Amino acid sequence: MSEQHFYDKDFNKTINDINDTIDNLYLTEDCYEKNKLLNNLRKQIANITMMMQNNQNYSKNNIEPVTQNDPRVFTPEELSTYTGKNGNPAYVAVNGVVYDMTNVAAWGGATHFGLTPGKDLSGVFASCHDGQPILSTLPVVGVMAP
Amino acid sequence: MKKQINSCPNQTEKLKLVSMLANKAIMAIKNGTIKKRNLVWLELTGCSGNIISLLDAANPGFKNLATQMVNIIFDNSLMVAEGQAAMEKLFAITADDYILVVEGAIASKDNGLYNIIGQFNGQPITAYRAINELGPKASYVIAMGACASDGGISAGRPNPSGSLSVQSILNRKVIKLPGCPCHPDWLTGTLSYILLYGQPELDNKDRPTMFYSTLIHDVCPRRPYFDQGIFAEKLGDKSCMFKIGCRGPVTPVDCPVRKWNQHVNWPIGDDSPCIGCAQFGFPDRMEPFISYNTTREV
Amino acid sequence: MSERLVINPVTRISGFLEIDATVEDNIVTDTHTKGLLFRGFEKMLTGRSPFDAVYFTQRICGICSSAHAMASTMALEDAMDIEVSDQGKYLRDIIHGCEYLQNHIRHFYQYTLPDYVAMPQNNTLFIAKQTDLRLPKIKNDLLVQHYFDSLDISRSAHEMLAVLGGKAPHNHGVFIGGITTQATKEKISRLFSLLHNITEFIDSKMVPDTQTVAQYYQDYFEMGKGYGNFLSYGCFNNYSQLGTLYLNPFIYHDGIKQVLDPERITENIATSWYTDQTETYAPNETIAEPDIAKSQAYSWVKAPRYNGLPYESGPLARMWLSGEYRHGISAMDRTIARVLEAKKIAAIIKVLLSNLIPGTDVQQVYSVPSTAFGKGLIDTTRGALGHWLKIENQLISFYQIIAPTTWNLSTRTEDNLPGPGEKALIGTQITDPSNPVELGRIIRSFDPCISCATHIYQSGNLINSIQIVS
Ligand code: HEM
Ligand code: SF4
Repeated sequence: MSEQHFYDKDFNKTINDINDTIDNLYLTEDCYEKNKLLNNLRKQIANITMMMQNNQNYSKNNIEPVTQNDPRVFTPEELSTYTGKNGNPAYVAVNGVVYDMTNVAAWGGATHFGLTPGKDLSGVFASCHDGQPILSTLPVVGVMAP
Repeated sequence: MKKQINSCPNQTEKLKLVSMLANKAIMAIKNGTIKKRNLVWLELTGCSGNIISLLDAANPGFKNLATQMVNIIFDNSLMVAEGQAAMEKLFAITADDYILVVEGAIASKDNGLYNIIGQFNGQPITAYRAINELGPKASYVIAMGACASDGGISAGRPNPSGSLSVQSILNRKVIKLPGCPCHPDWLTGTLSYILLYGQPELDNKDRPTMFYSTLIHDVCPRRPYFDQGIFAEKLGDKSCMFKIGCRGPVTPVDCPVRKWNQHVNWPIGDDSPCIGCAQFGFPDRMEPFISYNTTREV
Repeated sequence: MSERLVINPVTRISGFLEIDATVEDNIVTDTHTKGLLFRGFEKMLTGRSPFDAVYFTQRICGICSSAHAMASTMALEDAMDIEVSDQGKYLRDIIHGCEYLQNHIRHFYQYTLPDYVAMPQNNTLFIAKQTDLRLPKIKNDLLVQHYFDSLDISRSAHEMLAVLGGKAPHNHGVFIGGITTQATKEKISRLFSLLHNITEFIDSKMVPDTQTVAQYYQDYFEMGKGYGNFLSYGCFNNYSQLGTLYLNPFIYHDGIKQVLDPERITENIATSWYTDQTETYAPNETIAEPDIAKSQAYSWVKAPRYNGLPYESGPLARMWLSGEYRHGISAMDRTIARVLEAKKIAAIIKVLLSNLIPGTDVQQVYSVPSTAFGKGLIDTTRGALGHWLKIENQLISFYQIIAPTTWNLSTRTEDNLPGPGEKALIGTQITDPSNPVELGRIIRSFDPCISCATHIYQSGNLINSIQIVS
């Protein structure tokens, strides 16, 4: 129930963003600016598509409810098998949370700037993406054992 | 899909932009409103592939560039003078105004002796010395290609020659045009802009935003496949190259629109993944280029 | 009465080269050719994914990147036991052929021509004290015109390459099994029409221009002979349907042509800045360690040998071995052979194009063996190119490259026999030691590519200059 609410909020925000972008498109004359805005639009539409898919998954999952309050706990050894290769999903831990990178675009071929999954990458994440709102967009699969 | 992109007015404008800028510069030089400027082209620790890429330029072609836009003072691959006479030309220009284009990294091991570009008055001139003498005095420094911009292949692990990027040696603004090689349009466009208006708008890594602002993935014609989760299993497939290791999602450059060699084709169009050659960190941080064992479905 | 002439940089080649010649009574009595760039690809490749070698090794050389794509692909196929279909071979040989055309056209017009033609002195790129220029003005002007016209043609050779290869330089097309994409009908007809223009240019301009140069520089048929030993790994050959369109692996020595046996290839480091257990080794045995302090060494180019002897490779070697050109062996013959070869290659591409089946997909999912060894030997624009690789734990554990320029500008072994390039310079009569044009003209006839000979270090000694030191 709370998750559904979460989707609605995100959905509305993205719709607002799209309207903003369109307003800006009316105003701008510069062709590069326009290009950037159009790209934004693409991204936002992709976001919506993703949300809708997630929502569908969510409804599907509802039949077999996700153990929301009881997230899966990974030990470092367990995590190390999720390399994104040979049928294993690509999991990465950042600040105690385990994310599924299997289908994250920036991780093509299950690698990202020489980094490979199956590890805790909190340190590099902090040094490369400090302050960027990236983690909130990633699918969570569990947490690291304390 | 392809048609749609080509007919988008912004995209076509983008394609025409380089020739528009170049024609404007050529006209302005003819009318005397701006001056032809000197250009020094240093080939340093690299494969000399960027000068070859420049010879592949069209609208403006190399001929326009060399005869109507700039005076090329020095270029190892093309200049007629050789030996001492060539080096004299190179060092004489430091008294004058010139734009410096550098291709290749700078070998730094053993005092830079791994790369000697010539001898001047009996002294071997290392790439390291050349960049230190010519870099600070140039009115603009353009690092062309991956090696000059960021060390590139020349600095590939374990970096046997101790290759460094131009910026890591020069304490001044260096315009960076990464790519392996750099697309000729990225250079001729930047150069035309400089002739006409001075330094073009740069992003936070000193890449001209007119070429390096949009992620390949954001305008890739195969994006619908990505969004649908339809991924190529092998090279030659017509779907999204994500699972093979595509670097389009982390590489901001205009290949999908501009394409290569008179706009005929480009790596993803050739059914192979983008290898991120125009992103910093190429090649070590863009590898593996091709993998077949990535997990497809969970 | 001996003088020392040093030319550095030798411009209008790919990469950095020094010629260091000793001259007595205007005759070159000894010479050393030295490459001045080291990047160490063999070391870089160790530990990388074998598949990446194809795109990685192309970055050795900006002017002939497809050549390295070919050799590394063939080495991988050998290691992985992959049979390539005829269609796969046709497709990638078309790409390789386009690389030949691009190279030969640029080498003749942009690199060679300014040695013989008065270039317009109102352009800073061409400003030089050119001497010994013999062409009458009208012919000279025509060749200068063609210098510029050729730019469009060499560019369209790269355009052809990109139609199948994605981009050039550093294409994405050549790969295990052939090429990554398929040739559609549209692509094939585009290739035909581009090729048509190139062929027309070669026939109507490039070949006559070569004749013009040859006519006024007859003495260059007597200069820069070298050993007259030729070696080729073969190219455009071994198709099951078409047989051999150009050349199989052969050597030529003492007037006798023989089949090449790759086991007889060795490399030596006696006068190069490297140390190893042994000075002579087979290509798959060892990668010598750099040693900048080695005495006796004068260059970082290694010395490849066949049966212990230096061999020349390249267009003249190929045209000679295939029997298509046997006029003579000299600087001018090398240039003529290169131009005639361009014509030949254009004809071969046409045959290959006509045999393509549109839409053939030659790609599969490949897996890397845990251990393997492979070699890829192929003749490319500048001559014989070999890649030898070993795979361990599914990663590259060993990579050896012997490039054409390593053969042609090879250093000396213990027997002190000069390399082919050095040999070609020795005995040359220098008309004006203050402007020794002969040296550059002869060495450029080999089309040296120092970028390719990447396992080359610079000799760090401060030998004297460009000008004459007595
Ligand atoms: C070596 C350290 C890293 C570097 C240099 C790096 C660099 C980059 C770069 C350049 C981009 C492209 C952004 C753009 O242009 O839109 C990116 C995107 C991304 N990175 Fe990293 N990254 C690093 C580490 C990580 C780690 C540890 C994670 C794990 C969570 C991560 C997750 C992502 C994601 C999810 C994106 C896509 C962001 C988006 O869609 O906007 N990165 N990274
Ligand atoms: S091919 Fe590459 S750039 Fe294109 S959509 Fe797929 S991942 Fe993105």
